Amino acid sequence: MLFENTKCECGHQNPVGTVLCEYCGMPLIEEIKTDPASPLEMRYDGMARRSQKSNPNLVDRIWRFFSSVRVAVWLIVLTLIGAALGTIYPQESTFINLKTSEEFRNYYKQEYGTMGEIYHALGLSRVYESWWFVGLLVMIGTSLVICSLDRVLPLYRALSKQQVRKHLQFITRQQVVYQGPEPQDRMAWLDKFEQALKKKRYRVWRDGDALMAEKNRFSRWGPYINHIGLIIFLLAILGRGVPAWNMDQYITLYDGETQQIPNTHYYVKNEKFTVEYYSDEELPQSLKGTVRPKLFNTRAILYECTANCDDPSKEPVLVEVKKHDIRMNQPLTYKGLSLYQFDYNDKPKLLSVSPVLVDKTTGEKYGPIHLSIRDPALTYEAGPYTLTLKDKFMDFGGFDSEGRPMSKSREPNAPAFIFIIKGPDLPENGETYIYFPNQIDKVRFGQDILNKALVDKLELRVEGMENVSIAENASTLNVRMDRAMPFVWTGAGIFLFGVVIGLYWNHRRIWLRFDDGVLSLGAHTNKNHYGLKTELAVMMNKSGIEVTVERLDNRRKTV
Amino acid sequence: MNLYEFSQRALMTAMLVYSASFFIYMIALGGKKWSSRKSPERTQKWGWYGFAAAAVGLAAHVTFFVTRWMAAGHIPTSNMYEFMTMLAMAIMMAFIVIYLIYRNVLLGAFTLPLAVIIIAYASVFPSEIQPLIPSLNSNWLRLHVTTAALGEAFFAVGFTAALVQLLRVVDFTRTDKAGMRARRWVESFLLVILIVVGFLISVFSFRIAGYEVEYRQVKVSVDQFGQQTTTERLVTYNLPPIVKPHGGEIMAADTFLGTTDSLFEAPSWLKGVNADRKLNTILWSIISGLILYGLLRLIARKQLGAVIHPRLSDINPDDLDEISYRSIAIGYPLFTLGGLIFAMIWAQVAWSRFWGWDPKEVWALITWLFYTAYLHLRLSRGWIGAKSAWLAVVGFLVVLFTLIGVNLVIAGLHSYAGVS
Repeated sequence: MLFENTKCECGHQNPVGTVLCEYCGMPLIEEIKTDPASPLEMRYDGMARRSQKSNPNLVDRIWRFFSSVRVAVWLIVLTLIGAALGTIYPQESTFINLKTSEEFRNYYKQEYGTMGEIYHALGLSRVYESWWFVGLLVMIGTSLVICSLDRVLPLYRALSKQQVRKHLQFITRQQVVYQGPEPQDRMAWLDKFEQALKKKRYRVWRDGDALMAEKNRFSRWGPYINHIGLIIFLLAILGRGVPAWNMDQYITLYDGETQQIPNTHYYVKNEKFTVEYYSDEELPQSLKGTVRPKLFNTRAILYECTANCDDPSKEPVLVEVKKHDIRMNQPLTYKGLSLYQFDYNDKPKLLSVSPVLVDKTTGEKYGPIHLSIRDPALTYEAGPYTLTLKDKFMDFGGFDSEGRPMSKSREPNAPAFIFIIKGPDLPENGETYIYFPNQIDKVRFGQDILNKALVDKLELRVEGMENVSIAENASTLNVRMDRAMPFVWTGAGIFLFGVVIGLYWNHRRIWLRFDDGVLSLGAHTNKNHYGLKTELAVMMNKSGIEVTVERLDNRRKTV
Repeated sequence: MNLYEFSQRALMTAMLVYSASFFIYMIALGGKKWSSRKSPERTQKWGWYGFAAAAVGLAAHVTFFVTRWMAAGHIPTSNMYEFMTMLAMAIMMAFIVIYLIYRNVLLGAFTLPLAVIIIAYASVFPSEIQPLIPSLNSNWLRLHVTTAALGEAFFAVGFTAALVQLLRVVDFTRTDKAGMRARRWVESFLLVILIVVGFLISVFSFRIAGYEVEYRQVKVSVDQFGQQTTTERLVTYNLPPIVKPHGGEIMAADTFLGTTDSLFEAPSWLKGVNADRKLNTILWSIISGLILYGLLRLIARKQLGAVIHPRLSDINPDDLDEISYRSIAIGYPLFTLGGLIFAMIWAQVAWSRFWGWDPKEVWALITWLFYTAYLHLRLSRGWIGAKSAWLAVVGFLVVLFTLIGVNLVIAGLHSYAGVS
């Protein structure tokens, strides 16, 4: 086994893998020593990192893999390519009316030909849910954690115990270097230079005739802070998969209607929905005569149920908690619950009717009874008669093959109610009576034929429009709750903070020492050499040493 | 003259002053070579004149923006015309910031034409003020669009610096394989720029001439139940047809070179909204770009890169490298904030979800991932010089695709009307 001697000339014992002595900064690795002219590799100040361990075991190898920036860049590039592939054709999630894989396959084939078929077969039509794309994101997350840990700890150690007097090679092999004859009064010049540094907000340390100055160290933590932000962001997105944290449902409300938001103790009322369009005068020439919506507005009230909430036999007690005009871009929000304007329907809909029960033989009228279409009561009293609601159908669609009535949808397009009527001259178990509130349905489905046992005796009849209540509009609201959102925003905020301090401020350090009448000065920054050079030139000129910006440049020429 | 007309004139003024500024910068640069006495003072003096002109142009541009805002009653960022003119304004702002840091004359000579080209491109779209639809009426959206544009503007300045850097470092005397490859890439990139210029020239010349040809296309399609449906589509070309719609018949046409015939017919597999007209426009752009390139080559009698290259010899490529990187480093947090974070907040408020994998969203993410990779490669893997410059150039192409390409090629929530 090769034994690596990591003890420096200065006597400091460094961990294996150290590039520059932790104490004096002397280069320790052979290939760096042999090229004395080239600038030093100053990453993490030459500290050993866990990932550089020799004789790695399996954990070390995994650690090494994820701690590599090269791997991280590959992960980023692969994610980028995957994301781009997903935009060639629309993703499956954009089609709400298609369900099965077969339907999707046919759709892509029909719409985009053979290419579409291949696209679907490769799974590119659902890239963002695919195992490999999610896997890439998870790997990026892992890489973020390991890369940060691997670097931040050594860097923290290096920066928290810095030596003022550095090895001469360490100074002369920085990217910004000055060497020249020492000024006449060494100490007086040092004082002057220190003043110039302090004016530029440097912190200055001195050790005999050696000097070190540093500023904006915090900017070095920028990358790690932004990585923490990203980790929080990615975890929050994973957290959105927790069902209890997430709610996404739609409620359609008629004007004046109140409904419970399913699985919550909240109720929402739509007082009135309005839609406005731009008038012709407001439209430019090319759009005149077109319908361009200006505003969708649902005047909504949110209630919280405070008592009798889970007891269906009692009327729940509702307390108003918020009143809000829900518009596009102005959802109603209350304690993490958000209600968005999603859609509307301006076909008039029946809300309730108040028919009377007519005794056809005598012409006597009983009632009226109040029948709510969506939320009917179970029993009704009309004179000597009792009506019990046996069944209701919102969108009556005739009878199935076994003679059972059925509903086509939950929308009250063609409501039908089946009552059991009991009373004088009727059988003890009552008689079945089917009732269609809409006149057109009455004829269409043949109400009188269906009610043949009662057709000559009794009839439910609405007398006059004042007994009919109609809603002009229905508003569909999207109800959402997403408990992970605060974490998403926190993560994004931390990321941005880290990026800003990492990119808008630069960590700058300057070292100098005197050897045999020669002043050697080296300066290092993690970013923006140009700014450092200019600043250093100004400070040196102020202290009495004339120097041009170009002369300070010790970089290899970029090609 | 109403406010709208005034704002249009302000924009025209801005464009003319920008062009003047460009020429002044050319004089500042050219002076180095043309006059026998090489004088840095002279370059600097003309550089400042150019800068002053750019600042005056920007003032006119801001006037355009503010007066249009007043005329419309909402911030003018809601369609392609408004967005592109604002992007050009943001680029000029970013240019002024970077120019004040680095005082680099070359940057002016290359950024100003970029701003002019973008304004010209914006003018392809209808400029009339359109009232807002409800989903676009959001302060988060306004913040999103303006901040994202500012971030992209810094990427644009980073791109120009990188392009100059490439023209500066690519050796046009090299004849070995790698050298030839680098020369070819730079040259093809210049050709791409000329194709964009060719697109603008052809669109505007035929618009001034008032050229129009209208086609009727009848499509018969059979659905899964075997039912035949016939749809009729009318399409108007404003450029002479090189390629006509598949099975299209002429309804009304102006003549071009004495004929109304087209050379080709669009293939039947070409799908998408007005794909045939877009193909025709692209062909026109490429042909006029090639003609332009050919003419310039005839005049110069060498590769265009080789013409520009020697004029840049005074500049230190390391400085350009630094400018390009610095500009991107300034733009990155702005883009993250505007292009992603504000965008997510707006999406959350407007569409009830902060992320929906809409193509425009995905491409904003791709742009961000690209510049993230750029920063990692540069800061941690030591990619500096030409490598990093190529990335900065490609990065801006990704930005342009996100801004324009997605709307032209991929449909989604962000597609705008009036795309040629």
